[in-house]
Amino acid sequence: MSEINNTSTQFSDEQLREFARTKRLAVLAKIGRGIFYVFIYALIAFVFVMPMVYVLGNSLRTSQAIWSNVFPASWKSFIPFEGITLKNYIQALGLDAVSKGAGMDLSNALWISFASSAVVVGLSLIFNTGAAYFFGRLKFPKKNLILIYVVATMMIPQQVVLVPLYFVVKQLGMINTFWALVVPWYASPFIVFALTQFMTDLPYELDEAAIIDGANLFQILWKIVLPNCLPGLLTVSILEFQFIWNEFYWPLIAVSNQDLYPIQVAIAGQFTQEGPQWGRVFAAMVIASLPIIILFISLQRYFYESVAMSGIKG
Amino acid sequence: MTTITNSGKTSWFKKQKNRNYLVAFLFVLPALINFTVFRYYPMIWAFRASFWDYSLLQGFKKMVGFDNYVRAFTADPIFLQSLKTTFIYAIFYVGIIVVLALALAVFANQKKPGVGAIRAFIFIPVVTSFIVVSIVWGMLLNPDLGIVNGLLQTLGLNRLMFLTSKTQALPTLIAISVWKDVGYSVIILVAGLKGVPEMLHEAAIVDGANSWQRFWSVTLPSIKRQLMFVVVWATMGAFQVFIPVYSLTQGGPSRSTNVVVYYIYKEAFIFGEMGYASALSIILLFILLGVSIFQMRILRSD
Repeated sequence: MSEINNTSTQFSDEQLREFARTKRLAVLAKIGRGIFYVFIYALIAFVFVMPMVYVLGNSLRTSQAIWSNVFPASWKSFIPFEGITLKNYIQALGLDAVSKGAGMDLSNALWISFASSAVVVGLSLIFNTGAAYFFGRLKFPKKNLILIYVVATMMIPQQVVLVPLYFVVKQLGMINTFWALVVPWYASPFIVFALTQFMTDLPYELDEAAIIDGANLFQILWKIVLPNCLPGLLTVSILEFQFIWNEFYWPLIAVSNQDLYPIQVAIAGQFTQEGPQWGRVFAAMVIASLPIIILFISLQRYFYESVAMSGIKG
Repeated sequence: MTTITNSGKTSWFKKQKNRNYLVAFLFVLPALINFTVFRYYPMIWAFRASFWDYSLLQGFKKMVGFDNYVRAFTADPIFLQSLKTTFIYAIFYVGIIVVLALALAVFANQKKPGVGAIRAFIFIPVVTSFIVVSIVWGMLLNPDLGIVNGLLQTLGLNRLMFLTSKTQALPTLIAISVWKDVGYSVIILVAGLKGVPEMLHEAAIVDGANSWQRFWSVTLPSIKRQLMFVVVWATMGAFQVFIPVYSLTQGGPSRSTNVVVYYIYKEAFIFGEMGYASALSIILLFILLGVSIFQMRILRSD
């Protein structure tokens, strides 16, 4: 390099060719990286999306059509270009006489799932918010000890507690009732903890101004604190909805009456009973997951937020 | 004495400060009742039941002392085998989750078109219920009619037995669980990667570090906290795996996937051995405690 500067400001042909080659290499490397990126991208997308495409596509086919398209595998195996039928959905939702009689009707289970999720989200908004308000903004002697009592429950593993929980709920006379699906979950230590952090972050001057105006604790919560933590409330509501909608083990043991089965328990039973009816099982899978997936696609940011919230713990 | 307490009582209520405390406590009371009744009390109940011969119909029938615990460790090879299966499941599940989530997070954290969509693709299995994921994969991996074997055969590869084979069932279950759960860890790690200051990378580039060296000495140490969370979270999940085993293999073939929570479920609700199942739950609780304390120690000391 120093030689160039010393001898002349002009580049020799040799050097110009060298520069051109480096530039070509750089362009090639860029193209190579681009191809590599697209390849990895396609691989990840294939692994995570194709199973869902397959289920969605084949839920619109008869079982025979599903099986005859398995081999050789091609786009046709995934997407039904012909012979589309809604029969699987009609039967899974109990919309025709045959399926109603044969007990394949998922509409009641859907209703139970929606109802229990909505009730838990509602109760959780009331009681978790109240508790978070207490921990985040109110004065109380030895408040930290009570917070430890709450946070310590997070150490109890879920699956371990469900078996004895069955007996507690049974003593309360709630086993095999709708209440068994909602009452144990009306408050959550994790959500109390997350909302407490949200509320602690709000400035206290707001409260003080309201107290001078003669507002009581309820009015402060309702008019000042809650409007300021709406994103947090939406995030925890999503978390609760997702938890109850997808919960399986607890309703499996808590209710044995088929009329009270939420959707996840109902579809598990269908699979074992109707192994051969693949089209209908695929339709049931779509029905059981579509509400939560639609919710996710429309409110992605809040789902990621809820993960970040749990990451705080670590 | 009585007069003092009486007057003390009336004045306690009259004091504005104490009345405020009472109102404040009413906000937290319902939640405290919930945690006491539905979280602490079941643990105490399980602890008590583990020392009894408890049956679904007759309740606390006979006190048996430590018999249930002795039986678990000396007279129940199936339980010990289920512990071993669970440990194997956990080691592979956690290991694969950490490595894969790290790779996917680095990929999804690039400033390139389409990364938002790929993050969403990876996260969809997380929001989908485990029972749906299990049944769907059970059908896709069906040895005769599943599309995965259709693809393998089309590519000229051998068909596999997957869940129906004694040796392939557990690895298949691990793969399904990783597919379902990895997105959660990816989001945690992406959040961590976003927090790594750009300056650190620039400084490393000035020092002549290549991208691999930068990953090891800049990126990894900066997201240590998130990595530790992923390890602990994945371990807790691994030891409590239940749904895919319940819906796909029922512990088989020949008990190769008989994980501990599924075994407890069967003891409790199929065989009605509640006392014994409670003892097993308590053992699992202590194992989980031990494992997480061990992990905290190891990961903190680095």
